[in-house]
Amino acid sequence: MLKAIRYYIEQSWLLIVSAFFFGLLLAVTNAAWSGKIENNKTEKLSGLMKSLITDAEKFEIVLKDTQIDLGKGKKTKTDIYKALTAEKSDAGFCFNAEGTGFAGKIELVIAIDKTCTKVVGFNVLTSNETPGFGDKIARSFYNDQYKGAPVGLLNLSKSGDDKKIDDEIIAISGATVSSTGVVNIFNNYLQQIKTHLLEKGLIQNVQ
Amino acid sequence: MSSNAMTVKDVVKAGLWTEIPVLRLILGMCPTLAVTTAVKPALTMGLSVMFVLICSNIMVSLIRNLLKPHLRILMFTLTIATFVTIADMFLKAFMPKMSEALGPYVPLIIVNCIIIARAEACASKCGILVSAVDAICMGIGFTVVLCILASIREVLATGTILGIMVMPKSFVPLAAMQMPVGAFITLGLILGLVNFLTAKKA
Repeated sequence: MLKAIRYYIEQSWLLIVSAFFFGLLLAVTNAAWSGKIENNKTEKLSGLMKSLITDAEKFEIVLKDTQIDLGKGKKTKTDIYKALTAEKSDAGFCFNAEGTGFAGKIELVIAIDKTCTKVVGFNVLTSNETPGFGDKIARSFYNDQYKGAPVGLLNLSKSGDDKKIDDEIIAISGATVSSTGVVNIFNNYLQQIKTHLLEKGLIQNVQ
Repeated sequence: MSSNAMTVKDVVKAGLWTEIPVLRLILGMCPTLAVTTAVKPALTMGLSVMFVLICSNIMVSLIRNLLKPHLRILMFTLTIATFVTIADMFLKAFMPKMSEALGPYVPLIIVNCIIIARAEACASKCGILVSAVDAICMGIGFTVVLCILASIREVLATGTILGIMVMPKSFVPLAAMQMPVGAFITLGLILGLVNFLTAKKA
């Protein structure tokens, strides 16, 4: 037994020591730059929210760390922002949403109207989707299908009229997994966000 | 080139001409084709690769006498992945727009054949000085080729270099040069030219 342990250590000590050293190096780098990276992300988020709700003057967090159930036991938290115009009237809500695409995590900024009945639109915050295929989720021919779509369950179709605004989203040719990923993000978040806003009395229940 | 007798002069010559990664070894094709739509991303990619190449070559050279054959590739990958992560974090922190423009191609430096090839062919057999000079020269060779390719594509696709208009107003942009087909055609022509020049010399 002791001989086996000794052999194991002899063979792998360099790898173990290096893993600790490189881990430490990355931890130090992360500690030094993570604040700046987060700051850049917040600035980008604010810019993206403004581009979605153009008449908004500022955004304020109305619900912090709202819990979202992503299914299969996975849960995440997001902040819900209220868009306010220059006259301090409501212009809609925005939130950060994430899900899985073809090449890992997709992070979106989704905007909904002030009554939480229609989607105003979405922008891509981060995505590693394949250039030329999956990254088309940010392009207008796909993105525009969500502008005015109802806040409810959306379905993905491989063919149809992408100009028609309803709960049917037409997939990007050659990037079905990425298209499905975006639809799943909407389906995971929209209903739950609406429920949270209703519970907090931030919107009225209009059937 | 015999790896056992590598000198600084040898690695300088190899990195800048006889073994220039993209044109002579045909290595690092993924970033070469993908990020050369404009000079700025090409230059950033070239410098990122050079940073990783220098750090990994020095690190591998330092531990070369401790490396066991079966752990070799594992150690190279661990070293390269660490420095690529640092480069990626740097771009995200200080050049967020460029980081976004380069997308997944920065993390993909981990699987760039040039870096692992230099770790195996040079750094694991040579001292720190030779390994560092090898990394610098290979990095310069890679960056220069990327920038030449990107300049040609950017000029023909948009009429600009580094965003500055260099073509007359009557210039008609060739949109295809910004697409993959433009990358393949330009690279093919440059490879042909280099082969023509070297064949003539021989």
